[in-house]
Amino acid sequence: MVQDKSLGSRIFDIVNYTLLIIIALVTFLPFIHVIAGSFTTVGELAQKQFVIIPTVWSLDAYEYIFSTNTIIKSMGVSVGVTFFGTLFSMVLTALMAYGLSRRDLDGRSGIMFIVVFTMLFSGGMIPTFLVVKELGLIDSLAALIVPTAINAFNLIIMRNFFQNLPDGLEESAKIDGCSDWGILLRIVIPLSMPAIATISLFYAVTYWNTYMTAILYLNDAAKWPVQVILRQIVILASGLTADTSGMDDFVRPPEQTVKMAVIVVATLPILLVYPFLQKHFAKGALLGSIKG
Amino acid sequence: MAKKKAGTLLAVLTAFAVLTACTGNSGGSTNNAAGSNTNTQTATETPAETKKEPVKISIMANLHTPEVPDQAIEKLIEEATNTELEIQWVPDGSYDEKMNASFATGTLPQATYIKNQTSLVMMRDAIRNDQFWEIGPLLDQYPNLKNLQKEVLANTSVDGKIYALYAERPLSRQGFIYRKDWADKLGLSAPTTTEEFFTMLEKFTTDDPDGNGKNDTFGMTDRSDFVYGAFKTVASWFGTPNNWGMQDGKLMPEFMFPQYMETLEFFKRIHSAGYMNQDFPVTSKTDQQSLLLTGKAGVYVGSMGDVAGLDTKILEVNPDAVLDVHHKVSGPNSEYGIWAIPGFGSVVLFPKSSVKSEEELKNILSFYDQLMSPELTNMIYWGVEGKHYTMEEGKVIPSTDTAMTDREVKPYMSLQIGGPVTIDGFLEAKHILPSKAKAEELIVDNNNYLIHDPAAALDSLTYNQDGARLQEIIKDASYKFMLGDIDAAGYQAAVDQWLEQGGQKIIDEYNASHTAAQ
Amino acid sequence: MMRDTAVGSAMVTKPKQSSELKRRLIKNRALYQMILPGFLFFVIFKYIPMGGLVIALQDYQPYLGILNSPWVGFEHFERLFSEPMFFTILRNTLLLFFMNMVFYFPIPIILALMLNEVRREAFKRIVQTVIYIPHFMSWVIIVSISFVMLSMDRGIINELLVLMGLEKINFLMSNEWFRPMYVLQIIWREAGWGTIIYLAAMAAIDPGLYEAARMDGANRFRQMWHITLPSIRSVIVVLLILKIGDVLELGFEHIYLLLNSMNREVAEIFDTYVYTAGLRQGQFSYSTAVGFFKSVVGLFLVMGANWLSKKAGEDGIY
Repeated sequence: MVQDKSLGSRIFDIVNYTLLIIIALVTFLPFIHVIAGSFTTVGELAQKQFVIIPTVWSLDAYEYIFSTNTIIKSMGVSVGVTFFGTLFSMVLTALMAYGLSRRDLDGRSGIMFIVVFTMLFSGGMIPTFLVVKELGLIDSLAALIVPTAINAFNLIIMRNFFQNLPDGLEESAKIDGCSDWGILLRIVIPLSMPAIATISLFYAVTYWNTYMTAILYLNDAAKWPVQVILRQIVILASGLTADTSGMDDFVRPPEQTVKMAVIVVATLPILLVYPFLQKHFAKGALLGSIKG
Repeated sequence: MAKKKAGTLLAVLTAFAVLTACTGNSGGSTNNAAGSNTNTQTATETPAETKKEPVKISIMANLHTPEVPDQAIEKLIEEATNTELEIQWVPDGSYDEKMNASFATGTLPQATYIKNQTSLVMMRDAIRNDQFWEIGPLLDQYPNLKNLQKEVLANTSVDGKIYALYAERPLSRQGFIYRKDWADKLGLSAPTTTEEFFTMLEKFTTDDPDGNGKNDTFGMTDRSDFVYGAFKTVASWFGTPNNWGMQDGKLMPEFMFPQYMETLEFFKRIHSAGYMNQDFPVTSKTDQQSLLLTGKAGVYVGSMGDVAGLDTKILEVNPDAVLDVHHKVSGPNSEYGIWAIPGFGSVVLFPKSSVKSEEELKNILSFYDQLMSPELTNMIYWGVEGKHYTMEEGKVIPSTDTAMTDREVKPYMSLQIGGPVTIDGFLEAKHILPSKAKAEELIVDNNNYLIHDPAAALDSLTYNQDGARLQEIIKDASYKFMLGDIDAAGYQAAVDQWLEQGGQKIIDEYNASHTAAQ
Repeated sequence: MMRDTAVGSAMVTKPKQSSELKRRLIKNRALYQMILPGFLFFVIFKYIPMGGLVIALQDYQPYLGILNSPWVGFEHFERLFSEPMFFTILRNTLLLFFMNMVFYFPIPIILALMLNEVRREAFKRIVQTVIYIPHFMSWVIIVSISFVMLSMDRGIINELLVLMGLEKINFLMSNEWFRPMYVLQIIWREAGWGTIIYLAAMAAIDPGLYEAARMDGANRFRQMWHITLPSIRSVIVVLLILKIGDVLELGFEHIYLLLNSMNREVAEIFDTYVYTAGLRQGQFSYSTAVGFFKSVVGLFLVMGANWLSKKAGEDGIY
């Protein structure tokens, strides 16, 4: 690629890089505080409102978290639910989105309207609970996946990406004797990796963050994903429920350092997903596949 | 092929429609039937059966700890009571959602814990409509359960009938925690009147109690909580009634009493002088405590029991800090008094949708009766001797490995029924921290000065439906007054608004309920 | 919409049209097969539970169920519209929504454009990953961190203001600062995350276009304006329409945590109001009625926005 080396372009770059660095710092600092807070003592965290580098280092919080295998087991559940959930959601979403992206399909905008409608109107927690119960999904991990398998927003975005693929791809493929399934699997999917990576990421994050459905549908605490425990610790440590239960005298809330450590532990795995998907966002990722 | 698909689709759809319709239906009608008929039937059909088989009992309980407990203690309870327990732990922060969802879908377990009084009030209507077993007449058959106090049971009752077992809580833990070292340095003794209390806050702010030469301290640290924060306790010092009080033979809400206004003015004085944290209406409990721990503030009004946690932590920050507790402060026109809770924390209800017969109910009550024995109560409260605690002079010394007790014992405290007052042989702790030991003494001493809520067992339909929203009007006006945003006339306008939007009805209904109860 | 095609086919000579339709249906049967599983999902998990909305017209009691709860007609809607706070809440909601649209919505686009101009891949990846992180922090954490920073008592920001010789500002308990604080927190948490969709759309742009533009002497801004932005226009439009449908959904947890007695006048929204007035006291019917009202408003706005976008030659969302 030819680089633009003009003065204007250089000034543009300098300003651009500087701004991005500032933005990155501003977004990152509170997280640094959380990380640093997890590696220090309760005393230091109480004293300072903002810790960047701990003066006293301590692993107590992590020792506390990992002294039983509850967190590790729940992370296992989360990883499993996230992986299979994303896979399941992507298959359903991609199929439906592709079908609906074809302009020659009768009833297409009617079905889209049916989808959009569900974004605005929802029956609420209890009727959904009844459906899940009647399907026999209570206490099954599938209850965390199936009832939320397709997110209408993701479906609409996915369809939009499919619609924006260069026109004529399908026509030429059809002339080559490809069926609709063949077009989807051999042409559309490979050409849509940025979109697939994006939507997969959205699904993965949603599944990773699941907690309310887990509390509602899973009676067996052994199946709880890590977010349920994270949330429990954050709420207890923030003192949001202590008074009304009258239990605070007997059960001391978790320390602030433990809260920070759990946030770190529960956030890192999902952050690690991103770099794997990142290469699909590289500029021109699509072009290579078209020309090739 | 397309036709076949469409056929299956239709079949699936109708199946769902039927299924959901059925559930909605049965949720209502069969339950009612079970309520009136089945209990008498089964009671005659099946007299005491084989005792050998462990009784299965499902329980929904509140989880107050980060993780669900290890099952060792559960196993011991099961063995001792010949039961098979299935405990659904529900995280504290989502308890009411889960309970409501289970209730509406007919999936409540046999023993359902209700978090607190507020949640119990929400269930009143359902209780009245025969959704739960009445247990009052049965309690006398059980040697331990019959010790539950009549007055407290009355506070849990609906229309005079008893449906719930309760977990005991100390009636009033209210008082204040302060920096003894600061007070000593400034020559202040523990305040006994509200004016002395004010002086302490003033001196802690202006007289450089930490001696660092900087003007960086203030008196009181408070949080955004009208009840468990400082306000309600200070209001008691001024002689304000607890939620409701008698005025000219009529029940009136606390905020229409002159003492409440005096309290507001007192807070306004403290706040405007800068003797307390300026942000107290938005301060969280964590931040409130951290102001004390870091030596910014010297007085903490609230539960005296909190001193245990605060004392250990403050020494990490400042080894020279000394915390002390105090309870008795009297107002300008009143003797010391302190508001009390209705005597219970969580309660257990027995839904008719899952407890099918009176016999089943009796089995469950018998389990709770055994659970209320001193042996088992001590086990769910303190754990196993030698492992979770040791004994000294007949008192418990809990293990210092708090991580272990957090995991193995403390969650089971949620199951507790009764408490020190109702269980003879409930072990007490030997407090190593002098401040904590003193706090416990003062909590007991508070029992001599209690101000009870005369409306605790009374009912008002308007309050149940609209009380929380109306209460916000008063809360907003109170905060605005304390911060100086509105004056007494503005506050009075808010009270009028409260009366007009339904408050008057609440007053009338409570008074009617009060007359009916007498 | 379905109605259009149905009416359209009914208008023209019937037999020929319907056999034509049949032929197309058969030709596209593979596409219908692809849609079917998803369609079933929406029916089972969205439309069947939607029956629960009827409780808005009932005095629903959990123990009676939908079938046995008494019907009360539009009582709950009447109550909503006659609430003393109704217009305050509506105004608050709309204002917050507009602030969101004006101050938040463009930011991910600008940020994506900036990132798109970065040539060093490593730098770009690091910045991208870092700006996503806030999205993973819950509002409880974000609000508590910002409260500590903005506090009057020892918050960093106020101490800085004092150092600079300025007056302390009561950020947390004032009507003036609530909205800026709300929008800034949203920007902080979501702006980076919001870039993902746009970056994915930009990844699909043919680099040849930029090369051609440079040959023509277009500077970086002109390239952005004439190539990058038009290429992501349809994504922007779709997101805009979806956002408009969310007009009354401002994030309950976030606002509930920021709400207090001193800023209630500007901060109370439908969800927080319903929480205190309804849900906390088990009034499911009233809460459902308020939710229904919000949905209807959202539906009209989405339909309007979609119609406008189609007028403007875009695809719209249905």
